[in-house]
Amino acid sequence: MAATGATGGTAPGAGAGPEGAPYAVELRGITKRFPGVVANKDIELRVRRGEVHAIVGENGAGKSTLMKTLYGMHRPDEGQILLHGREVRLKSPADAIEAGIGMVHQHFMLADNFTVLENIVLGSEPTRGGRLDRAEARRRIREISDRYSLGLDPDELVENLGVGARQRVEIAKVLYRGATTLILDEPTAVLVPQEVDELFGNLAELTREGLTVIFISHKLDEVRKVADAITVIRRGTTVGEADPKTTTSHQLAELMVGSELPSPETRASTVRDRPVLQVRDVTVMSAVGRPVVDGATLTVREGEVVGIAGVEGNGQAELVDAIMGLRQPTAGTLVLGDDDVTGWSTRARREAGIGFIPEDRHRQGMLLDATLWENRILGHQTRPPAVKGPFIDRRGARTDTARIMREYDVRAPGPDALAVALSGGNQQKLIVGREMSAAPRLLVAAHPTRGVDVGAQAVIWELLKDARAEGMGILLISADLDELIGLSDTLQVMLRGRLVATLDPARVTPEELGGYMTGARIGGAA
Amino acid sequence: MTLLRRLGPTVGVPVFAVLVAVVISGVVMAVLQVDPFEVFRVMFDLGDTPSQQMTAVVVILNRAVPLFLAGLAVAVAFRMGLFNIGVEGQYRLATIVAAAAGAAVTLPGPLHLLLIVGVAVVVGAFWAGIVAVLKVTRGVSEVISSIMLNFIALGIASFLLTGPFRGSEPGASIISTAEIPESGWMPGLNGIFGLLGLADPPRQLYGFLVVAVVVGIALAVLLDRTRFGFDLRASGLSPSAASASGVNARAMVLKTMLLSGAVAGLIGLPDLLGATRSYTTDFTAGLGFLGIAVALLGRNNPLGIAFAALLFSFLDRALVPLQIEGLPASVITIIQGTIVLAVVIANEVARRIARRSAERGGAASDAAAPGDGSTSTGQSAGGGGAPAGTAVQGTGAGVSRTAGAGQADDHRGAGA
Repeated sequence: MAATGATGGTAPGAGAGPEGAPYAVELRGITKRFPGVVANKDIELRVRRGEVHAIVGENGAGKSTLMKTLYGMHRPDEGQILLHGREVRLKSPADAIEAGIGMVHQHFMLADNFTVLENIVLGSEPTRGGRLDRAEARRRIREISDRYSLGLDPDELVENLGVGARQRVEIAKVLYRGATTLILDEPTAVLVPQEVDELFGNLAELTREGLTVIFISHKLDEVRKVADAITVIRRGTTVGEADPKTTTSHQLAELMVGSELPSPETRASTVRDRPVLQVRDVTVMSAVGRPVVDGATLTVREGEVVGIAGVEGNGQAELVDAIMGLRQPTAGTLVLGDDDVTGWSTRARREAGIGFIPEDRHRQGMLLDATLWENRILGHQTRPPAVKGPFIDRRGARTDTARIMREYDVRAPGPDALAVALSGGNQQKLIVGREMSAAPRLLVAAHPTRGVDVGAQAVIWELLKDARAEGMGILLISADLDELIGLSDTLQVMLRGRLVATLDPARVTPEELGGYMTGARIGGAA
Repeated sequence: MTLLRRLGPTVGVPVFAVLVAVVISGVVMAVLQVDPFEVFRVMFDLGDTPSQQMTAVVVILNRAVPLFLAGLAVAVAFRMGLFNIGVEGQYRLATIVAAAAGAAVTLPGPLHLLLIVGVAVVVGAFWAGIVAVLKVTRGVSEVISSIMLNFIALGIASFLLTGPFRGSEPGASIISTAEIPESGWMPGLNGIFGLLGLADPPRQLYGFLVVAVVVGIALAVLLDRTRFGFDLRASGLSPSAASASGVNARAMVLKTMLLSGAVAGLIGLPDLLGATRSYTTDFTAGLGFLGIAVALLGRNNPLGIAFAALLFSFLDRALVPLQIEGLPASVITIIQGTIVLAVVIANEVARRIARRSAERGGAASDAAAPGDGSTSTGQSAGGGGAPAGTAVQGTGAGVSRTAGAGQADDHRGAGA
């Protein structure tokens, strides 16, 4: 079956003898460091053959780093990977495929104008006499489709397929390459509920035939429904295994977010009466006309941190866009101080005193191929010290960048270094420093400590606390519940575009918060 | 040291690429049984007498002026990631309308010139503006619309030339607009040869050279030193970051295309005002396309474009002498084409090397950051999952490109 075009062999290492039946996949003490960040630490994972094994964890917990390790996209610094009891070294995805590991990515990688058959064989085409052997390919795809009840027609054009069917094509693609262990990365994120049920049916077929499925998700209900075993990852390390039959979503959430007390604590309230930002009944429509932010109303006062909690994709990004003027709300008003800024441009809003730490700094916060001093100007093109009238003040920008580097501990060769040369933490500190330097009235901070190392995280928390004490209003969007609870004065929970609960961070626990975020708990003020 | 490092790729890469191109074209010539050394000898042989040599220099400079302007027009748009392929149509249309306008009136000298230049600028900007409007209102790719508009512009130019703007006698072998009266002629610059103690060649050095230099300097200042230039560059480097910083992307497209078109409008004027005095059926064509090559070679930097324009015009000058020597003139086209290819490749290679060396240390944590975060639908909602456009974002994608699917892997997609 394995007629893969993959090259390179798996070097069998010290063949660690299995105790009892060998695990299909076993990871022992996997540690992966990036400069300044330990993405994975002492990961222990045991996946039995023929089971659906779920890996759950918060965003940023290190799930994807782990899966990239297993799929050969990078190599771990420490630890062993064992497949069926044999140690392997995966140098590239080709090695992983050779070893029977297949990855179904969250975002499909299919060519729309190709048929199912063409998409499946793309990259490992069976040939006869140098030409694509369609008959052979068709036969094998039919075989796979029938065996696992995928219901695929090899000659259908992919553009005619729905999302669920496309996902099955992706699965078939992996099976076609002889995978016996499938990694599904957030497979349900793109599916509607019926499709999710179908997918789960397919997964059952796969495991019945002896294949192993690793299922990555943070949707606890789904995980409990489909998984035979669950491994929980928190802050880069595995914190335990759970049996889905005996574990409640609540207990899982507890494991996921941990019950340690938050470190970013700020207690003495600095909240003043004057509102900086009032969001009133703001609704934002998606491209297909579905409300992604649905009648959101909230107020940020001077000296107040308002935290928005929510599972990612519940409208937080769109709310931020609406506040920043990057997306026009279809209804509602935004008031900054005393001004109705609903119709204002992004630039006017920034000039009026909104600072912005975007959730994806590479996409929205930096010019990677530009120097640091140019990045200092970004977002502040109309204000000193970087600008004098219509002209760029190069010297002023350089001097001020040097100051930011000093004061905010940005480690870089100098203001003329390219932004791409900096580590994630240093890039983020530069962004935070830049935004703080303009002394905004309101700071919109989306995931301000995402992907930064612990040291930078502490620095950024400190900065936010100081700014709050000085009367800055902060809207904090984060996936880190400890950060939210620790920094916020008020917590709002966002679920399916609506602000569904207002909580008092002094009294809410991460577990309760997790319950509100997933919809397990409903409504109410605390 | 930093200066050297900054200039390194800007100067070194194109020079290296040109050398490679010369070697490759030499090999091609040898294969075609043309003696490359003979070709190069003719190329560098500017003439025997000082007068001949100065004539050659004037020919080169005169040709370089429109090429320089064309390169600038392309580069302005290119700085923000817009491909203005329509420079060709923009300048042709601008030139014929300006020629007709100039011929229709008689004004005191400077005013007359100003009018012609003004008309050309407005027409060029207008034609490029159509592209911009289509892009910001309907999302039409500027590449497609500007190419299409080239055809339309050339069609309109032919119509105008044979119809309303026709100034030549019926039956004349070359159809032309009416000649611009003398008040609208641009005086030559040959006076400076006398001042410099050089031979005064019979051919006039275009006075438009001065205008081109001024435009070049003005654009250099505008692009590198002003807020507008910063916004433009930021939009080119990362449209998403630019709009988050408050740049109005649509307005930026419009302004940039108008500016690009305005500069494009000037391209035909050196010839029109300095030599032909009317737009004819055989008016210099192809400058818009050459401008793309010149802008590439000059790395979108006004000074670089000046050198690129000089190089191209130096090569062009050899066209006639080569034919006189019985050598195929097409070798010039081969050399120019090879240079463009070599420069494109060299630029890309240099960019990757620079980036890789810059990323060393930073890269791994770059890869960590998205892995640590971006996930599910939140990130790309509305954007249709577009992987943030430009190559800017391609950070570590190479790692995953070996994935079995054989398709490029958006490494952001693997978020957990």
